[in-house]
Amino acid sequence: MNAHPNLSRGLVIALALTATTAALAALAAGGTVYSKHFKTPLLAEPSPLAASAGEVAFARKLTIKEVRGHWLRVSDGSTKGWVFAGNVSDTKPEDVKGLDGLPVAASQTTVTAAARPLTPAANDYANRRNLQEARADLDWLNAQCHQLTEADVQRFLQEKKKGEFQ
Amino acid sequence: MKILTILVLALVLAPLSQAQFDFGGLSKTFDQAKSAAKMLKGAAGIGPEEEKVIGESVALEIVGQYGGLVRDPAVVARVNLVGRSLARYSSRPELAWRFAVLQSDTVNAFSAPDGYVFITRGLYDLAPGDDVLAGILGHEIAHITGRHALKIVARGEFLSGASSLAAQQSSDVRQLDAQLQHFDAGVGQIADTLFKNGFDPQTEFAADQDGRALASITGYAPGGLRAILTQLQQQGDKSRAIFSTHPPLKDRIHRLPDDPPPAA
Repeated sequence: MNAHPNLSRGLVIALALTATTAALAALAAGGTVYSKHFKTPLLAEPSPLAASAGEVAFARKLTIKEVRGHWLRVSDGSTKGWVFAGNVSDTKPEDVKGLDGLPVAASQTTVTAAARPLTPAANDYANRRNLQEARADLDWLNAQCHQLTEADVQRFLQEKKKGEFQ
Repeated sequence: MKILTILVLALVLAPLSQAQFDFGGLSKTFDQAKSAAKMLKGAAGIGPEEEKVIGESVALEIVGQYGGLVRDPAVVARVNLVGRSLARYSSRPELAWRFAVLQSDTVNAFSAPDGYVFITRGLYDLAPGDDVLAGILGHEIAHITGRHALKIVARGEFLSGASSLAAQQSSDVRQLDAQLQHFDAGVGQIADTLFKNGFDPQTEFAADQDGRALASITGYAPGGLRAILTQLQQQGDKSRAIFSTHPPLKDRIHRLPDDPPPAA
């Protein structure tokens, strides 16, 4: 059964408005957000250099108590503090599982994974597709990326006044 | 769900080529594949190991297709500092994000699963400021966080060809070879989308919106992407391919908020 075109268009618009409204409401006091880092730090003040007030685990449901610019004062019932809005999500993040069946929570994979060489399967793929030069380029890229540490990125954010440092 | 299980088996088995057909380890690998299949649901549930293999293979195709990488450490450092600043506030901060510039005069950008983002030199040279660069990279990050390429594979026709192998769970060499062919076909399907067909327009518009939001929350001017799209439209350069795999520039500009261009 085909829906009437105008009805379908109206439904799409209504759904879009609902989603937008829900997203906006989520970032208001009383709304809900979820932590999206393996360990999301909560701070005593809405400032990246403030003292720690604790940390919450990945995908933890947080209630917004107050909004101040890009900062949210949140609580998970026991831990309370300020969090940068970029460190939480208005939808619950999915935790993908590894081959061992254990959750691969947003862990510290960013730096270490970049240092690893291409997987054997990708190496074989390069051979089958005659992409050895491209493989050498990716190896070079991975080495370059490995040299760039999380501390470098943090320093960049601070110098450029980005992220929590806005 | 059955089809998804087949996909997972196909992808998990692809690394077997490296095992030099070690039949002694096959049953263990099949068990791993079955376990992986059980826990997955939907394209969003493709596990990190599978995504890594797919992403690397797609990245190889992109680099091979577009003339290799610009091996300039300063350029790579810049795109990675801006890119990783954005990625840390994305919905998938845990990925091993890597950003690079391709040796190509065309104007385009690509992404591969598992955090690979590429921008052509032709586009990079048009983005002297970080606000514009952030707008471009934000769009590509959105493709990865939205698992857009993985969704293409998950609904691809090549899955059905793997059904007999998944059902029999055989250690037959010919069937392993068939798995590799299915895997290569899946990667080829993603590559065709990236290089020829493009994502569907709604997916691209969504990536524009999500990328803009990501740039904004990170502290970059939200009008960076709109500014470069407008610049390209006004230049009307017909001497080279410009975002040839994306919707028309005017349609993308029209759907973005009317943000002012970033300060020079």
